[in-house]
Amino acid sequence: MIYPEALEELISEFMKYPGIGRKTAERYALYTVNHFDQEALDRFSQALSAIKSRIGRCRICGHLTETDPCAICQDPNRDKSVIMVVESPKDVFTIEKSNKFRGIYHVLHGALSPLDGLGPDELNLASLWPRIQQSEVKELIIATSATQEGEATAMYIQRVVKNMDLLLTRIGYGVPVGTNLEYADEKTLSKAIENRRSF
Amino acid sequence: MMIQKITLTNFRNYQKQTLTLGSGIHFIIGANGAGKTNLLEALYVLSLAKSYKVEDADLIRYTCDFAKIQASVASQNRQIDLSLIITEIGKKALLNDHEIKRLSDYIGNLHIVSFLPEDMSLIKGSPGDRRYYFDVFLSQIDKNYLEMLTTYKYTLRQRNELLKKLSAEPKPDTTLLDVLTEQLAFHAQQVMARRDEFVKEINDVLNSAYKRLAHKNEMMSMTYCPSIEATDTTAFLKSKYHQDLVARITNYGPHRDDYDFYLDDRLARNHASQGEQRTMILSLIMALGDLIYQIKKERPVFLLDDVFSELDSERQNRLLEYLTTANLQAIVTTTSVQEIKETIIKKAKIFRVTNGYIKEEY
Repeated sequence: MIYPEALEELISEFMKYPGIGRKTAERYALYTVNHFDQEALDRFSQALSAIKSRIGRCRICGHLTETDPCAICQDPNRDKSVIMVVESPKDVFTIEKSNKFRGIYHVLHGALSPLDGLGPDELNLASLWPRIQQSEVKELIIATSATQEGEATAMYIQRVVKNMDLLLTRIGYGVPVGTNLEYADEKTLSKAIENRRSF
Repeated sequence: MMIQKITLTNFRNYQKQTLTLGSGIHFIIGANGAGKTNLLEALYVLSLAKSYKVEDADLIRYTCDFAKIQASVASQNRQIDLSLIITEIGKKALLNDHEIKRLSDYIGNLHIVSFLPEDMSLIKGSPGDRRYYFDVFLSQIDKNYLEMLTTYKYTLRQRNELLKKLSAEPKPDTTLLDVLTEQLAFHAQQVMARRDEFVKEINDVLNSAYKRLAHKNEMMSMTYCPSIEATDTTAFLKSKYHQDLVARITNYGPHRDDYDFYLDDRLARNHASQGEQRTMILSLIMALGDLIYQIKKERPVFLLDDVFSELDSERQNRLLEYLTTANLQAIVTTTSVQEIKETIIKKAKIFRVTNGYIKEEY
């Protein structure tokens, strides 16, 4: 072993993050030792160790939150008749940044993927069905990814809700705004053409 | 399409080797084990970003930590530089010094048609060998095909995994199986349609290639034998749920397709002799080259490994005459050029390989 044991331990903790390999972890560990004073480290480790007790899942939508239910579900100004289904909390943050959606969410925490051991029981689906049976819910927007897993998840939800009195929609996929058509890849372009609308 | 210059670094038994190539035939001569096939493999890997027989790491020269293949290729009045760097942990493909992230964007820049010793099993070998050979060919000429096939295979793995899980349940809920079956059927139809179209295209050129090489009146043809013949792929797959759940695997689909070869109405798999098989495979390779020419308006590079054994000298020379077609480049390995016509030798370039070192002979 080249590094002292304490450093080695820190390195292996950093390596648990996605996208962080041995080299980056080494850099982070050395940076921590060289640039953080004890006070900074205490703040860091406190933030780290409190995260699980301070952040939990909203009992209504499954989004990550400090309050239960989450701020979005509690907000009286949100349109409770429209629910958008997303794969991850990150999707909620992304859509919220756009300020374009005034409805509420349902976070699945994954997409259907037998290869990853994710079936309907492993996703946050069980709480979706009673939610959409409430009479105030008029529309369900499925905003899962345009991947094989995301499509499978969308199709699965469609099967289950097809006989309910509910408007079911899928978000549009197409050309990224601010780019020239020539830069869009062929698959995205063909999706965009498929999903064209009257103008 | 012409490889003008190729440099191998730490590839197999080559430490550092640069070759300057031109149009026409290049004979690579050397004893067994000297590295003739390794050179062809390098060109194959450069084109397809993958070896036909081994894992990437096995391509790296013993005790080295990377292998690199670089080439300048002249293609329809433009010059492209291709490089492929292989390390223990992955590979990197560059086109004109820009990294290409998706291999489907890299494959198809250098078209090749190859005959390797493994390909002798194309006629009598397993269906998997035939599917692999033609999948590789179609991926080169049709980027969409490679993407369709990749998505199909991925969806197939998802479905097989689900079948395993469901087969253990007393009363399986098939909602997700329905969904994956519909996804699978959608991609299967695309793959099957392209394979069917390919066989129609190749049959237009296959028989004339066979006649040119064999000088016989028999007719050579190829048929596509899809695993699913029903017109409604989804309904067919759904009718096999029980069988799939028992076997815990998807029993039908493009991953079980096959192709057959015929001489007149004789099924080659059962009736062709060793010599006939070789003539048929070489005819097929000429036909594949003609097909690429029709579609891409330029000839692929031919990589032919030890093609002459079991071929009589007349057929050898007919093949070589085909390879001297204008603007065609061929790299041909052989143990000796003694039986080859003087007129062909005169126009060809000859390289001698000894222990991982290649030298041009003048």
